[in-house]
Amino acid sequence: MADDVRTKPQQSANRIVNEPIPDATAGDGITGTGPLVYWRVFRTFVRNSLVRSMGFRANFWLECVSSVCWTIMNLVFFKIVFSYTDSIGRNTGWGENEFFVFLGTTWIITALIQTFVMPNAQEFSELIRTGHLDFALLKPIDTQFLISFPQMVWSNLANLFLGILLVGYAVLRLMADESNPLTLGFTQVGLYLFFILCGLVILYSVMIAMASTSIWLGRNQTLYTFWFYLTNFYRQPMEIYQQGMWGWTLWGFFTFVIPILLVVNVPARILAEPLRPGLDERTWSLAGLTLLVTLLMLGLSRWVFQAALTSYRSASS
Amino acid sequence: MVTRIAPPEKPWRLASPKTMPLIEIDQLSKHYQVYQKQEGLWASVRGLFHRQYRQITALDAISLQVERGEFVAFLGPNGAGKTTTLKILSGVIHPTSGTCRVMGHVPWQRANAYRRRFALVMGQKNQLWWDLPAQESFRLHQHIYQIPAEQFQATRDELVDLLGLAKLMRQPVRELSLGERMKMELTAALLHRPEILFLDEPTIGLDVVAQHNIQQFLKHYQEVRSITILLTSHYMKDIEALCQRVVIINEGRIQFDGSLAEIVGKFDQERIVSLRLADTTGIADLQQFGRVTRSQPPQVQLRIPRSQVTSALTEILNRYQVDDVSVSDPPLEEVFAHLFTQGREATDQGASAPKEDMAGSRRLTGEARH
Repeated sequence: MADDVRTKPQQSANRIVNEPIPDATAGDGITGTGPLVYWRVFRTFVRNSLVRSMGFRANFWLECVSSVCWTIMNLVFFKIVFSYTDSIGRNTGWGENEFFVFLGTTWIITALIQTFVMPNAQEFSELIRTGHLDFALLKPIDTQFLISFPQMVWSNLANLFLGILLVGYAVLRLMADESNPLTLGFTQVGLYLFFILCGLVILYSVMIAMASTSIWLGRNQTLYTFWFYLTNFYRQPMEIYQQGMWGWTLWGFFTFVIPILLVVNVPARILAEPLRPGLDERTWSLAGLTLLVTLLMLGLSRWVFQAALTSYRSASS
Repeated sequence: MVTRIAPPEKPWRLASPKTMPLIEIDQLSKHYQVYQKQEGLWASVRGLFHRQYRQITALDAISLQVERGEFVAFLGPNGAGKTTTLKILSGVIHPTSGTCRVMGHVPWQRANAYRRRFALVMGQKNQLWWDLPAQESFRLHQHIYQIPAEQFQATRDELVDLLGLAKLMRQPVRELSLGERMKMELTAALLHRPEILFLDEPTIGLDVVAQHNIQQFLKHYQEVRSITILLTSHYMKDIEALCQRVVIINEGRIQFDGSLAEIVGKFDQERIVSLRLADTTGIADLQQFGRVTRSQPPQVQLRIPRSQVTSALTEILNRYQVDDVSVSDPPLEEVFAHLFTQGREATDQGASAPKEDMAGSRRLTGEARH
């Protein structure tokens, strides 16, 4: 083994010497950090995490099965609820089918967050604690991008398909409703998808900002707990909070301070039209607010992230 | 205290019109606030509400210049500030005060143009994807550093060839040995052909063969590519094999900066003379020539002041029947150990914080920084 390496340099020496010695300005030749670079890196992350999860096949299927089971139990629970009542809240329009659009949307968003965002937020916190964030800081690419996407837990995507199925089923039922049928246009479906994206950005921003605090705290293991609290609040139509002092307080807090109530409510309202025919004024004002909040939260998370990085201490050697 | 010796002139430096050093560090300091943990449960509970911090000085106003193509070793005990220096130079952490420029960039501004031109390899941390073959991590680097496909392949094949990694490319990193992993780490770090390579204890924990392989590789690579390498290590073998220039750091200060030969000349005033005698009579009298460090007749080992070695040897060969004789330098470890203690004594004489205390608090926080 030692001989191997000792003799090798002589053999390959010529090959290297023939190449130009890098000069001082060599690195400045490439300045493009366009979207294409980010796309290629993202694709590699997708590839690597896929290869990785396939490497642990049994684990992959177990995770799929357990999360699908949990989701189906969730559905059964709401089936039972709707055997006692016709709608969630009085005159809100959230009947069984409308609510199943809402529920399916929740699954879609939750699945996407748990596939793409949560593993990375968690990992980011871990990188800080162990000092492995060093490597991310060395790379000539946006650090926030680099830590936001490397890990993807693909088994969590199983619920995405269940969500799509549920939304599709409930929408078809609503369209077939004889007394007050739902009519959908492309614009509405487009807006639905767009506001799902906004919801994802809001949740991403909240989680990344939370994870960034690990730099000051040393470690932050409350991420999943925090995520659990969030999901508990955003998975309900916001109308249920709109009564009494406590209800309105919660509503105000989760709409304006930590605006997670907008995440599912806005796209679900746009698609299910609980107060049809047509989208009411309220839905439009919430949509406007969501747009604003999305940009604001993204900016805020970026600011927190950058501020945190300057305090990074790089644990251990 | 600091011995500044200009690095030797290099042919390529004469050819280059630039006179600015590649790395310029001026009065760089780094202080940490470290939470003082008290012993015991009750104290820990109190610590939840009221914390005491103390300041640790990792770097104390160091100044240093490195020219293009140099191979510099940072040497010092644990916690001396070697790793901190490398981390500041690579932009991972911000210094508390002082200035620093590397290839015209301020490292901690983390400009992409700067980050494309250097690499950092740490023996204690790995950056390759643990569950995947190293090849997948290499591909990721290719995209991050925007290495053209042809150049990527050529560089990778060359490194894989030099380090003898061809057979390991398809194995998940977690199944590689420590030495193999370190070679993979080096490959990953060199794929974008950095002009400066920062190496933080690259041979730590490796066996002699693996250490030797990596030394050979670094030596060869540095020579043909004439890149600049800054290395920290605990292994004197690394430094003996590789570096023309040695910077000794202790307690955040530079104690010495010069060539290895100078250190040996300056701090090592004795030579080791080993004798094998054919006739052991009068063996006790040998101590008149120097300090007897080992006596296992017929073998004797003596320490003789450098200036007297010749005369003493003549005398000994005259008086005794000697089968075998050899003269050697004391091991480098010894020289450095001596140097480090000197530095410590100097600091202790000043009214600074006791050393023990400092080491203790580092260990307790579990986040010791070098």
